[in-house]
Amino acid sequence: MQLRPEIQIKSMIKAMTEVVLPAVDENNALAVEQAQLIIGHLNLIAVRLPLQFRADRNALDRLISYTHDVLESSDGEQAALVAAQADAADVLSRAKAEPQELVDAARRITEELDDNIRAIFDGDDEKATNALMANTLKMSEEQLLRDRSWLIMQGWEPDASIVPPIESLLEPLNSEA
Amino acid sequence: MIAIDKDRPSEEWMAAIRKQFVTETEIDRSLTRKLERRSGPSYTPLTLEEIIVGLRRLIEAKGVVKFAVEDARWLSGGASKLQVAFTLDWDRLAVGREKTRMVLRLEPAESLHETSRLREFQVVSALQDILPIPAVYWVDTEAEYLPYAGLVYGFASGVAKPSEAQSGVSGLGTRLPLELRKKLGPQFVRDLAKLHTFDFSQANLTAFDQPELGTQNSDWAVAWWDRVWEEDSGEQVPLMSLTSAWLRKNAPSVDHLSIVHGDYRVGNFLFDEQSATITSWLDWELTRIGDRHQDLAWSTSRAFGSFAEDGTTFLVSGLIPEQEFFEAYEKASGLSVDMKSLRYYQIFNAYSMAVMTLATSYRVARNGKSHQDILLTWLLGVGYMLLDDIRQLLAKEI
Repeated sequence: MQLRPEIQIKSMIKAMTEVVLPAVDENNALAVEQAQLIIGHLNLIAVRLPLQFRADRNALDRLISYTHDVLESSDGEQAALVAAQADAADVLSRAKAEPQELVDAARRITEELDDNIRAIFDGDDEKATNALMANTLKMSEEQLLRDRSWLIMQGWEPDASIVPPIESLLEPLNSEA
Repeated sequence: MIAIDKDRPSEEWMAAIRKQFVTETEIDRSLTRKLERRSGPSYTPLTLEEIIVGLRRLIEAKGVVKFAVEDARWLSGGASKLQVAFTLDWDRLAVGREKTRMVLRLEPAESLHETSRLREFQVVSALQDILPIPAVYWVDTEAEYLPYAGLVYGFASGVAKPSEAQSGVSGLGTRLPLELRKKLGPQFVRDLAKLHTFDFSQANLTAFDQPELGTQNSDWAVAWWDRVWEEDSGEQVPLMSLTSAWLRKNAPSVDHLSIVHGDYRVGNFLFDEQSATITSWLDWELTRIGDRHQDLAWSTSRAFGSFAEDGTTFLVSGLIPEQEFFEAYEKASGLSVDMKSLRYYQIFNAYSMAVMTLATSYRVARNGKSHQDILLTWLLGVGYMLLDDIRQLLAKEI
């Protein structure tokens, strides 16, 4: 998916800074202030969004250690806290790859696939070419359904009712557990 | 895998790209210029005053003396170029003192289509007596005088859609009333037939390479958009790789070379509302010498059409039922419509549009190179619907 928050935020900041803010009536102090605050928020999001997952994971790790210290230094009924700590530790153990690693891995594999697809198509093996077409079209149908659903609010679909909601198309991470 | 920094292209990479993708000479020049400037500054907003200064320099350089640029104002519309309307008070050759309404079309630092103002200037000049088309005056191909490369047209009167009609970006989704369709539809076909049968052999089209009959024209066309994909995309998409390979392997042979508009559809002509007469054909930046089926497939794209009042009859560009369109075109042009070539160019057109939206929109906005990055970012989203169109079209070819 190429339409990602990074580029959306960047273009919003540019539009706000270069087009919208200069056009706001300077006598409307509330509008000027809020336009400036929108730009400030967007700049903050742009810088921090790539670190959000790492920051949340880091905070959870700290909380787990802290909970461990709390449990060690106190007596009494602590079953609920122990269970919460165990849940947190389980989540942390599964939260290993960073979001950007997923994106980068997908990019590496599609780069390699590009070479592979072209090599097969340029060859003389008709059976392999037909299989490649069938496989690519099948995978693309599944992926594009999700891409189109992801972007449904943009209004490009002639009949939006035939596209399922994105929530129904994305399996939760622990679905195999 | 060698990491390529497409935001700061190296000389070696540019040379490799130019060697790998064989395109027309002027297309190569335009795309290479884009890459050479990519690592330079992003687009900075221009004031009308800055543009007028450059415009005056251009007009002076073309030998015009004692002139005044008046009533300059921004024009809206389009997803690609900057446009300024103005009136020139000047001594026009063979006419005398005159106030002429004109339009300056200017490129931003990078745009949705990286094209050649020289090609646009030449083809519009060549078609002056053939089609309703704006006059064209001067071109600044290398931004010697203007802030960016630009072209001065005569102002074309008319509307792109009825005053009360609603439509989306760039005139897409326009719905026209039946009475208007009946009058505009035949003109739409007539002009396309005139364009495709125009004998360009004597025209000054030095910025166009003329392909041989056969597949050379489609080879160049596919290489054009393959190259843009390679230069601009942020990630590979298996369906795009497959489509490119399929297009290269299945190119149809052309039996008659035509001037191909490249964006022939509703929204790209102006008409007089009272007389329902087409007054001007616009947007010649994607024009090339090639296969008429490219225009036929573009015009008949579902993206540019609409359905008649019965909800089932598809209207080509919102104007004329599809079968009627093909029959009228064959009759007016004397050229046949080959369904296999048409299907090929449906896939080619969807591919080129997907390149523009998924790759170029992304790269331009990423580097802040245009005056409307926010619009290009929005347009990125339509790429996935285009990919699904490609998928469905290719599925019929198995």
